[in-house]
Amino acid sequence: MATCFNTPQVKYNSALRFERHGIPADELIFSPVVRFVGDRVAAVAATSPKIAARALSLLDVDYEVLPAVFDPEEALAEDAPKIQPGGNLVAEIRAETGDLDQGLAGSDYVFTDKYYTPRPSHIALEPHTCIADVSRDGPLTVWSATQNIFAFRVLLSGIFSLPMHKVRVVKPPVGGAFGGKLEMTIEPVAAALAMMCRRPVKVELTRREVFFATRTRHAAVVEIKTGVNRDGFIQAQDIKVITNTGAYTSSALNVLGAMIDKAFKQYRIPGMRCQGYPVLTNTPVAGAMRGYGSPQLILAREVHLDRVARELKLDPVELRRRNLVRPGDPNPRSGATLGDCYPLECLELGAREFGWDTWRRPILPPHKKRGIGMAVGVHGNGVYGVHADITGVTITMNEDGTGILFTGAHDLGQGVITILLQIACEVLGMKQQDWSVIEADTAYVPWDLGMYASRGTWVIGQAVKRCAETIAAQVKEKAAQILNADLEKLNLSGGRVNAPDGSSVSLRDVVWEIQQKDGRELIASYSHRSTFNPTSYGADFAEVEVDLEQKTIRVIRFLAVHDVGRAINPLLVEGQIEGGIQMGIGYALSEDLKLDAAGKVVNASFKKYVTPKAADMPTLKVMLVENGERQGPYGAKSIGECATIPVAPAVANAVADALGREIHAFPIDLRALSD
Amino acid sequence: MELQNEITVSVRINGTQFTAAAAPEESLLEFLRTRAMVMDVKCGCNKGDCGTCTLILDGQPVKSCLVLVAQANSKEVWTVKGMALDPLMQALQESFATHGAIQCGFCTPGMLVTARSLLADCPQPDRAAIKEALSGNLCRCTGYKKIVDAVAAVAACQASARVQGGRCRVWKQQ
Repeated sequence: MATCFNTPQVKYNSALRFERHGIPADELIFSPVVRFVGDRVAAVAATSPKIAARALSLLDVDYEVLPAVFDPEEALAEDAPKIQPGGNLVAEIRAETGDLDQGLAGSDYVFTDKYYTPRPSHIALEPHTCIADVSRDGPLTVWSATQNIFAFRVLLSGIFSLPMHKVRVVKPPVGGAFGGKLEMTIEPVAAALAMMCRRPVKVELTRREVFFATRTRHAAVVEIKTGVNRDGFIQAQDIKVITNTGAYTSSALNVLGAMIDKAFKQYRIPGMRCQGYPVLTNTPVAGAMRGYGSPQLILAREVHLDRVARELKLDPVELRRRNLVRPGDPNPRSGATLGDCYPLECLELGAREFGWDTWRRPILPPHKKRGIGMAVGVHGNGVYGVHADITGVTITMNEDGTGILFTGAHDLGQGVITILLQIACEVLGMKQQDWSVIEADTAYVPWDLGMYASRGTWVIGQAVKRCAETIAAQVKEKAAQILNADLEKLNLSGGRVNAPDGSSVSLRDVVWEIQQKDGRELIASYSHRSTFNPTSYGADFAEVEVDLEQKTIRVIRFLAVHDVGRAINPLLVEGQIEGGIQMGIGYALSEDLKLDAAGKVVNASFKKYVTPKAADMPTLKVMLVENGERQGPYGAKSIGECATIPVAPAVANAVADALGREIHAFPIDLRALSD
Repeated sequence: MELQNEITVSVRINGTQFTAAAAPEESLLEFLRTRAMVMDVKCGCNKGDCGTCTLILDGQPVKSCLVLVAQANSKEVWTVKGMALDPLMQALQESFATHGAIQCGFCTPGMLVTARSLLADCPQPDRAAIKEALSGNLCRCTGYKKIVDAVAAVAACQASARVQGGRCRVWKQQ
């Protein structure tokens, strides 16, 4: 049995991304102070789950009951119980550009709203699982359904005082993640037990445990004040966000930092201020979740802007048309360009396709109300500007003309490996079936920052492209000798190097010549550092029907238009967007972990936690704006997270339109609204 | 909770008889995964809510986490792997692949089994019927659209194949 009394008392932050990341460390494998219902108290290893469960049921823990606080606004009060020694306010984050006060003073109107966003769960269908093993001459091996093998290696090596080369973290196929498997939860438990037992230990959470003992999205309280002129041009905006980070700091700083970053990349606002207050409470730990701060900000901001539009008697599309950033606009905080960004084109295309201007409210029975709504979303491409955004890849070519790619990319179902192979194939004129991939195993692949921040195609894709290009250069050099042709005029396709005169040589022969004649291996490693972080955008449109008798809201049709630069794999891009729509509809209408008076999650099951099912999904249409991002691999930008960001506010705005009233709390509760 | 005596259970799994000791309170799902090592049946919730463990028990689709293994004694179980040679399942698998109906794949075995049962019972369902039939199977990756597309394509293809007397192959329309 492992408890706080016989395991390392080394504090760590589960959201650590790299060595010396420098974020507050306040979590332990097992804490002597239980800070929320779901905190780790003890773990038992047994030869069967049944025996382990029975052993746990025999455990008698004497708890000294301490005061607790569950609401982030209450937790900020002077006399609130302190959850960590430093107090409940983790930090104050602040960013400002232009002159806010002058902007507000000079505006024709100032509107203020306050919004409450929920605490959804990721709901990857595969529950969190890992296996730890120390039986092989000392080194610790952990197989984990994780999004970040190298970060877990840093954490495990720190907790157990092992050098990094003695810690191996392997990611087998993962059944969905969405940020929920980015932060370390069960792995040190399995490792501690494996060290005690000297045999492999598997930890597999139940669905119930996944809900309250892993991570959630941060619930947030968002206050927005907007100064706007009669003509609809925004002059100033002041945003204040309180996030509930739960009982441990985890991603508190990173998520708010990312959220505030996005606030400056959506609209042209002369005076802008954004303040963030991450707050500790005795609730389940919040962490990374698809969108990483953007969903809270954009839900509040886009619902607020619809209210502004109504007050000004301006069409919501027109309000956004007047204020959205244009291609090449600078980020006012850094002066750096936002890149080849086309939110306006998404807006125009979407409004046309949706029939925004021509839509008329249908005549329905009095208890049924229809409405339409739209919203614009924004997200980044990797973490350049915050951390060193690095990945290494290695390509080896085999003497039969096939290849092996070694990469720290983690395929989680999003298809990043497919994208990377498409890129390698494009450069080298090969087919996907000519490749094997060694993926996400710290023992075998070059270092990578982790699978998050929508950085797969943008950062790792770029690395694979450049690595393949160095292989292609060597192939061409050799082929030029063999064919006695001009190197510059060779092209690679169909597994061959082709010269303009029609002569060609197979990749197989070229690699063999390099191996046997030149006496070297055709191998290349490329370490890529991202030096640009453009912005991805989407404009979403929704039509909803509210049934006031049944108290139900149905999304009837949904259109998503995304500026993706260029879709390297359109089917995968659509898949990301459609999945993001499901998650976003849930965010607007139903998904929220609810607590009882004692801070215990009361809906930790799929019966009680409602997520849209197949029959709940609207008719979907996805459209892509593909104007290309000059600095992206083949013009591509990110989509994974941006896919879900505009969804909830589009739905919420449609509901507000249907009901003819303002909505300030999410998920939308019709019963509460009708009171 | 007392540990009870084990019982002996014999189930025909994908055409092969399998006999093993099991706990009386053991679910068919647990029996398959831990004793018969049938890993294409997934466990997403163990409460009958997510559908990842759907399989065919004596001709009927069931959520195997809700079936006691004793109830499956002397019965016949088919999982997606066992249906590899079934033409309808092959058509569905091909359609799922070409339509992009699979992302992480965790829900896929259960989805395929449910979809096959639907099409076997009701060869030409409309989209609403497909969505309704799949609503016991959760998916977080796809938003369901491409899964419904994939099933609808097989249904449409089956209809035309029946007319032409040919085998159903589904390709995504470009």
